[in-house]
Amino acid sequence: MAGSDWRDRYGTEGGGPRPASLGVMARVFSEDGLGKWALYAPTVFVILFFIVPTALTVVWSFFERTMFWMEPGFTLFSYVNFFTSARFENFLFSMLHSSVSVVVSFVVGFPIAVFVRRHVPTVAQHRVILLFILPFMVSEIIRTFMLRPVLGRNGLVNTFLTDLGVISEPITQILFTPTGVIIGEVLSFLPFIVFSGFLAMEAVPKYIFEVCQDLGASRWRTFWDIIVPLAAPGIFAGSVFIFVNGIGVALIPSILGGPGAVNAGLIATQAIIALDIPLAMAVSAIMMVTLFGLLAIGHRLFNLTKILEPQA
Amino acid sequence: MNETKDIAIEVVGLSKSYGPVRALRSVDIAIGRNEYFVLLGPSGGGKTTLLRMIGGFTKPTAGRILLHGVDVAHLPPDKRPTCMVFQSYALFPHMTVAGNVGYGLKLKGMSKAEIQVRLDAVLEMVGLNGYQARMPWELSGGQQQRVQLARALVLEPEILLLDEPLAALDEQLRKDMCIWLKHLQERVGITFIHVTHNQEEAMSVADRIALIADGELVECGDARQVYRTPARRFTASFMGESNLLDGTVAEVSGDGTVTVDVGIARVAVPSADATAGIQAAVSVRSEAMRLIPRDQAQGADEQALDAIYQEEIYLGLMTRQIMALPNGQTISVRSVSDDDEAPAFQAGDAVRVVWKTAAGRLHLS
Ligand SMILES: Nc1ncnc2c1ncn2[C@@H]1O[C@H](COP(=O)(O)OP(=O)(O)OP(=O)(O)O)[C@@H](O)[C@H]1O
Ligand SMILES: [Mg+2]
Repeated sequence: MAGSDWRDRYGTEGGGPRPASLGVMARVFSEDGLGKWALYAPTVFVILFFIVPTALTVVWSFFERTMFWMEPGFTLFSYVNFFTSARFENFLFSMLHSSVSVVVSFVVGFPIAVFVRRHVPTVAQHRVILLFILPFMVSEIIRTFMLRPVLGRNGLVNTFLTDLGVISEPITQILFTPTGVIIGEVLSFLPFIVFSGFLAMEAVPKYIFEVCQDLGASRWRTFWDIIVPLAAPGIFAGSVFIFVNGIGVALIPSILGGPGAVNAGLIATQAIIALDIPLAMAVSAIMMVTLFGLLAIGHRLFNLTKILEPQA
Repeated sequence: MNETKDIAIEVVGLSKSYGPVRALRSVDIAIGRNEYFVLLGPSGGGKTTLLRMIGGFTKPTAGRILLHGVDVAHLPPDKRPTCMVFQSYALFPHMTVAGNVGYGLKLKGMSKAEIQVRLDAVLEMVGLNGYQARMPWELSGGQQQRVQLARALVLEPEILLLDEPLAALDEQLRKDMCIWLKHLQERVGITFIHVTHNQEEAMSVADRIALIADGELVECGDARQVYRTPARRFTASFMGESNLLDGTVAEVSGDGTVTVDVGIARVAVPSADATAGIQAAVSVRSEAMRLIPRDQAQGADEQALDAIYQEEIYLGLMTRQIMALPNGQTISVRSVSDDDEAPAFQAGDAVRVVWKTAAGRLHLS
């Protein structure tokens, strides 16, 4: 009774066009209209911005080089070129430098994340973490460039140490060496590790600290036995991120590095400048394979999907 | 209890402030060795604060804590003879049951073989034999709490602190666990301090109860005594279900009773000492009262108040009858439900609420 009454009134009093437009809206948002397609949006996004460029990179890396561009074909020339020149050695070294950056960033940054999680009141935690993102407000080029007058021969560090009498000769082994690049990378990526460490610590319940205190675990034991295993997936994700940036971001070695401090990103950039597009593509493809390899290992060890699961 | 050597925990003038919030105000408690002691009170009263200070997780603002006669102010949690069982299922999520329980022993540098022996013994004790290899998420809530207990007990503490250990469990399991905890305490023979805001839970496990509200120790005593003869008005209102009548002491008679003027009438209550003219309250448990028609007289050893019958609420085992006094205050009377009988009274009927004089309790504070 009441049901039909309601339906009648809706149909007549609302006027002709209204039910029709309602119908259209309902159809658009129903499960088999736009709603259904909305589910595919991420898939489309991934195909458009991830799979297609990746595939093109790989395909182009096998193309033949021409004077200014490339032409379709299949040649391993770019790869041979890469692996048989100093580039490969540079690439391996950049992986080493990157690993050092990861370790240093972790050692410096992760305790900050642990501290914030443990000692800062929950309501203020996110604000404190935001402070670490503030440096990102400054362009990375400027941030990196500012290190030159700091680390250089007559830079801030050298002047300071000389004035203190700690050293008599300025240290010249910082700027334009791998050390300079590592310093630049650590400063650049530290906020990332603090942030990802903070997220990783979400997997560590707060009560853990008190339980450890009660059982008599030292800080060190608490850290290694409890915190690190629990936060491992998050730590790994953060580390991979820094590592990949370390070998991929051309900016830092091009400003702070020297002949011996080149990374994959810079090799690719230089190849593009030299108009050797297939080589640049090959370098990128090798970087991607490296990344996928790391992720595969990480997934095997930590089941990375756990990071995305809500914690109880 | 009268000898110092039998006192496990002595808290003297203990206070704690969080900025302007005074969570605990100068509390004194002495807890006997091998006693099952319950800290009971409404939410926010300061129970957790007190327990955490005993365990060493929170620093007192003032006062002393003596564990077996030793001042422990400067000692961290692991150097105290205490162990804590937390409210949440505070297990290490990445360790098995054996890993969780054995971790404390491992930290002490005990050999694998010895850890295994103790592990088996303690898991047997908490009824989790055969669960060694399970992960925390493979256990029910009650089982997780028992693992927590095992993790604490395996370290052989002299005092076990339990902060609402059963709060996250459902009603039935909580009742079972209460009995189980009580038996466990009797078996291991150490001091348990158990925090709860559930009165029934407190009554079923406690040897002695301390009632804590608003940062103060309201009353402390034998569990039955606190329930039957509460000294303070607050205790009477918190424990069980009592009717409270506020007034002033009108007369102190020589036969051990005091007459209190509660505004609408004068009622007699047993009391040893009181002075006429001071503020007082009378409480009577709702199950100690009964209803009679207005025209019927009460017995010689009974007190009575006129009231208007309002309604009846069926609670299953018990039935609650609600009456209004002439001053508007409601009185509730509980009795065991009698399913055969039709309600004796209708709303608006003039009735009398009566109780044995001896069932009344006088509260001067
Ligand atoms: N870390 C803190 N900072 C500020 N105030 C606190 C803190 N811990 C407790 N308090 C306050 O101290 C008072 C007592 O808290 P406590 O946790 O001891 O109560 P409780 O009796 O255990 O209550 P519940 O039954 O809800 O657990 C409360 O008013 C609380 O808000
Ligand atoms: Mg509490």
